[in-house]
Amino acid sequence: MTRRVACLFLALGAGCFLSVAAVPENSDPVEAIKSYSDFAAIDLGRVLNGDVLSERGSLMNFPNGISAQTCYAMALPADEAARHLQLWDPSAYSELKVFAFHALHMPCDPADFQTLDFQTRQKPVHWLLDKTVATTPARSELNLTRDEARQLAGCLSKQADPQRASKCWAKLLLARASAFQQQGLAGTTPYEVAGEIVSPADQLRNMLLEQLPISHEFLPILKGIGLLGKDAMPSLTPFYYWSLFDADYHGTISLGAVYLLPVGNHFQLIDLEYYVNANYYASASMYEVWPVQAQGKSMALVWRGDFFAAPTIRFTKGTERIAYGALMLQDIKKEIHCMQDEAKTKR
Amino acid sequence: MKRGCLAILAILVPWAALAANPMSISEELDAVYSYVGDAHTRGAGLKSGEIDEQSADVKYVVSPQVNKDLLLRFGAEWERFSFDVPDHSAVPRLLQQASGVLGFDYQVADEWLMRVEVEPGIYGDFENINGRDFDAPLVIGGIYLASADVQWLLGIRVDVRCEYPVLPVAGVRWKLSDEWTLNFMLPSPRVEYQANDRLTLYTGAGIEAGTFATGETFGSDHGEPKLNGTIVDFFEFRLDAGASWKITPGVSIEAEAGYMPYREFDFFEPDLDVRSYNAPYGQIACHARF
Repeated sequence: MTRRVACLFLALGAGCFLSVAAVPENSDPVEAIKSYSDFAAIDLGRVLNGDVLSERGSLMNFPNGISAQTCYAMALPADEAARHLQLWDPSAYSELKVFAFHALHMPCDPADFQTLDFQTRQKPVHWLLDKTVATTPARSELNLTRDEARQLAGCLSKQADPQRASKCWAKLLLARASAFQQQGLAGTTPYEVAGEIVSPADQLRNMLLEQLPISHEFLPILKGIGLLGKDAMPSLTPFYYWSLFDADYHGTISLGAVYLLPVGNHFQLIDLEYYVNANYYASASMYEVWPVQAQGKSMALVWRGDFFAAPTIRFTKGTERIAYGALMLQDIKKEIHCMQDEAKTKR
Repeated sequence: MKRGCLAILAILVPWAALAANPMSISEELDAVYSYVGDAHTRGAGLKSGEIDEQSADVKYVVSPQVNKDLLLRFGAEWERFSFDVPDHSAVPRLLQQASGVLGFDYQVADEWLMRVEVEPGIYGDFENINGRDFDAPLVIGGIYLASADVQWLLGIRVDVRCEYPVLPVAGVRWKLSDEWTLNFMLPSPRVEYQANDRLTLYTGAGIEAGTFATGETFGSDHGEPKLNGTIVDFFEFRLDAGASWKITPGVSIEAEAGYMPYREFDFFEPDLDVRSYNAPYGQIACHARF
């Protein structure tokens, strides 16, 4: 552990004490959110009327990282909203371009990946199939360890057979999901991209360590999942999933886990994409869900922070980076609107 | 579960903070050279014959990010058009720009980015440089980020010395698929085909234009005294096809070839113009973003 990281951990520890002292449990949710987020002002009236407030994250020293923050309301009591966020399935919304989304059992088994299907007319999935077939033990454009690349190349033998590719990927994903279920983030094996060793867990840690006020606020859950702090193994049981989706016309499979932790009168959630097989490295969506009352109804005030690590971010500079951040916010808002609409129908 | 995914204020820049964060400064370098073959040229009551052209453009801009929404732009540009012209033809041998670049990029709203850029400098034939050679064309543009696939450009170009001092600018970039993009942004609207992660093939058009001052004796030297000390609007239209090769994620080189159907030297105050037609051309370019 470098001295810088050690200092940040110390700062986190002190911040934890300070945040407890500065933000009492029953404090005004709006003031609590303002205390750690980029929102200098939150018009609760606008938010309760359905507006989604948004802030593009500031530049990070970490070259692969980009972030964004949003604040919105859901027409559900806070506990239900938190559970809704934890279990939400985006595949029902065609505009989100999620081709498949499936929960994983604990422990996961091969049947969990039975519906992974490359036999589709979706062009992005064809891209993934092409990159899979092109994988050799020595070279791949996908996020694979040398051993995984060898397994995949041996399993497919250069055959562009969608069924076989689905089975080969299912085997690799099962191994990664099982390791994560058993060891938490310590089980996420780093992979090699363009000669560099990439650890998704380190990518996430590096981004969060630059966001000290947010990391202070979320310290209970961050420690609980082993992302920050000494505990390597999570003490919380998450909702595990895999999904297949379109990331800029490229089919992408991710493995994720959504953790939920009640903290006093509110809730904290983290949706971690601990393995992504192409296009980007890792992501974390953090939520804080507060109970609020509007016109006699119990509602939820949600703060959401999105942290995204991708190799292209390093080379996206100046105005292009501002545009990238703005477009990332558009995608996030689209997803939030889908969640809000679904929450309304559940009420 | 995410998919994915703008000068005067210089003295106010918190330089210490910028120096502490190297990520907050970006740089752009663009270098272009082109050659246009012999083009039949006539006008201004003169038989000008065949004229070929060499042009070069080098532009460097450094952009410090002042805050989350504002980037300043400082730099310099040198552009040169040289023409191999017969004696006594009313075509300048050289049109040249040497200017500074000052401006900013600013995120006006969630979906709107704005650029304001002025290039104060010398725009002329570089014979007897004086105050008449100074110009400061201004570009004000806005980009509307409709989606990750579609972006619209709207803007104006202001040059008080030009025959048309205010010109509107519009364009669109529309990514149709992983491979195909309609990149209809001036001055080089193109249809692009991304063959792989490094190679992009394209076909489209190109516009070269500028407003320049000629020397006090330019007309007399070229048999048309009324062109002494006049302003000339230069315009050239090209049709091209080419390839762009990404050497690294931040550096690309381009090579293109095509056809120059029309070129005009418009001395609009005495109302004389010289026009060139139909010539082949080739161009190489390098674009770097750091």
